[in-house]
Amino acid sequence: MAEKVEKWYPGEGKLSLGRAILYVVLVLGGISAIARLFFGLGATTNLNDAYPWGLWVSFDILAGVALAGGGFTMAATIYIFNLKKFEPLLRPAKLSAFMGYLVFVVGLFFDLGQPWRIWHPMVMWNPHSVLFEVSWCVMLYTTVLAIDLFIIGLERYGKESWIKFFRDIYLVLVVAGIMLSTLHQSSLGALFLLLPQKMSDLWATKALGPLFFCSAVIGGMSVITLESLISSKVYKRKPEIGILSDLGKGLAIALLVYFAMKVTDLYARGAAVWVWDWVHFWFYVELFGTVALPALLLSFPEIRKTEKGLYWAAGLSAFGVVLNRFNVSLTSYIGYRQFGYFPSAIEIFVTAALIAAGILIFDLGMRYLPIHKSELSGEAH
Amino acid sequence: MSKAILIDTTKCIGCRACQVACKSWNELKGGEAKFSETWSNPRYLSSNQYNRIIFREIARPGGQMEWHFISRRCMHCNDPACASVCPVGALEKMREGPVVYDDYKCIGCRYCMMACPFQIPKFEWGSAVPLVRKCTFCAERLAMGLAPSCVTTCPTATLLFGERADLLKEAHRRIGTQPNRYYPLVYGEKTGGGTSKLYLTAVSFEELGLHKVGFRTDLGDIPQGIYGREWMSKVPFVGVAVGGLAVGLHYLHKRRAEIQAQETKED
Repeated sequence: MAEKVEKWYPGEGKLSLGRAILYVVLVLGGISAIARLFFGLGATTNLNDAYPWGLWVSFDILAGVALAGGGFTMAATIYIFNLKKFEPLLRPAKLSAFMGYLVFVVGLFFDLGQPWRIWHPMVMWNPHSVLFEVSWCVMLYTTVLAIDLFIIGLERYGKESWIKFFRDIYLVLVVAGIMLSTLHQSSLGALFLLLPQKMSDLWATKALGPLFFCSAVIGGMSVITLESLISSKVYKRKPEIGILSDLGKGLAIALLVYFAMKVTDLYARGAAVWVWDWVHFWFYVELFGTVALPALLLSFPEIRKTEKGLYWAAGLSAFGVVLNRFNVSLTSYIGYRQFGYFPSAIEIFVTAALIAAGILIFDLGMRYLPIHKSELSGEAH
Repeated sequence: MSKAILIDTTKCIGCRACQVACKSWNELKGGEAKFSETWSNPRYLSSNQYNRIIFREIARPGGQMEWHFISRRCMHCNDPACASVCPVGALEKMREGPVVYDDYKCIGCRYCMMACPFQIPKFEWGSAVPLVRKCTFCAERLAMGLAPSCVTTCPTATLLFGERADLLKEAHRRIGTQPNRYYPLVYGEKTGGGTSKLYLTAVSFEELGLHKVGFRTDLGDIPQGIYGREWMSKVPFVGVAVGGLAVGLHYLHKRRAEIQAQETKED
């Protein structure tokens, strides 16, 4: 362990109550994960032949990747669309994206029946398979994020010549990251194109790919907002309300576009929208509660410019992205299957531990890496 | 070239000899027989049960009750969705007809189970090193020039093994000569792009109540895998377009910034 260069924030090094809880959750989930490896999926999860995909796919994989969409969204905002004022959000976004993908890969590891064969898609190819493409994109994009973080690490130790080398090829990394993200974020939705007959009309659409991409941008922006607000509290910094409310404008636009896409799609397919049952209940919550409502909230400057307003709007839209992934991969099949599914305690523990691990990794990054430093000017902000 | 099985369900007496033959040939453990709301036993297909007979008692117009016995197993699609979605290509359609599975490639992602329109692939949930299991069409017997074990054991010739084209002709001949005996559609001829299991039934699958559980009638004539392949065919273009746009915009903005800097200097 290297010596710490300086104190990054007051009170660091102490084990706070929050961190203690996270470690407990992590240990509990770790034990559950080991149990899953030794006793198999059938003994430790509630998955069955009717529900081969459950909580781990819906949350760890689908929702996790969508919420980690902030990395490519911010990279595109700054390097491609040249909106330099959002620069202070870039590095935290990269860090949280890296954490999201790490969690995804570990989650996938425990979800696979034969986890030790996780490398098979590298050498055994099936270019017809959407999942094959997703696995390649995720592999490559995680590598891009790792290099990104490695550069930030180099900065901490002042390895100038190395940094210069990476700076020279930096555009390649940025473009590769955006390209790979566009492809796999939308392809995660395309996984579900295959059997429209099995799914509820509300979500079975040819537009699943573009819809997943758009909601990944929403997920990314709302997570960046939440993460910035929360970390300003934890690390005792001034919240960047000005930048965040500008980002809120972008989020509102993304939400409106998403809403319009959804409604157009439902109308074009003539889906039966106005029915009262559980499936439709979750659909209403998703569309009105977590897409329309936050868009409405963000349209008021009085709300957008306050911390509380941003918390609510970003929180709702992030929850909406998660809910959408659950709806597409679980709720959608309710009418079709003869069995029910609710995750087992072990499934929930493992997922909780992955979230805890993500937060702890993020915390470590915030404490030991120069995250609050401008990538463009090299100055601290 | 491509082999198939014609399953004339009107001839089936529900003896389940095919279930036993399948278990013997594939060395699968016998399950415990249990009472349930139906005569079918076992109740579901599983990693230990590749085929089973569904018992259906339905009322005919006039109030007469009638038994139907429907053999359920992998359809061995001509263009299987499972093979199309498998990220490592563990599932493959052979030219001879069977859709076979490679134990050594599978990573256990279970996408095949999600994708199969007939809900056929089953997972070894009880194992710590689980694999996917389904009817193999006795591919290894076919390679030796033998008929599948269920076919050889069927006492009523419900199951007929042969060339797919010949069996289709035979199926239509039966429908033509005995129109009162058969529902006038060969399930599997075109269903989901065509399958290597061809069904003749007395009534439609809707009437049997099986059109939502295993014998879907809303699949159309196109193979399900096409939806995924359509998407994959666009992926390279989307990738190049996004990458190109990103690079272009980046340099555009950079150039604009340079010109701006130049102008301020000149002013």
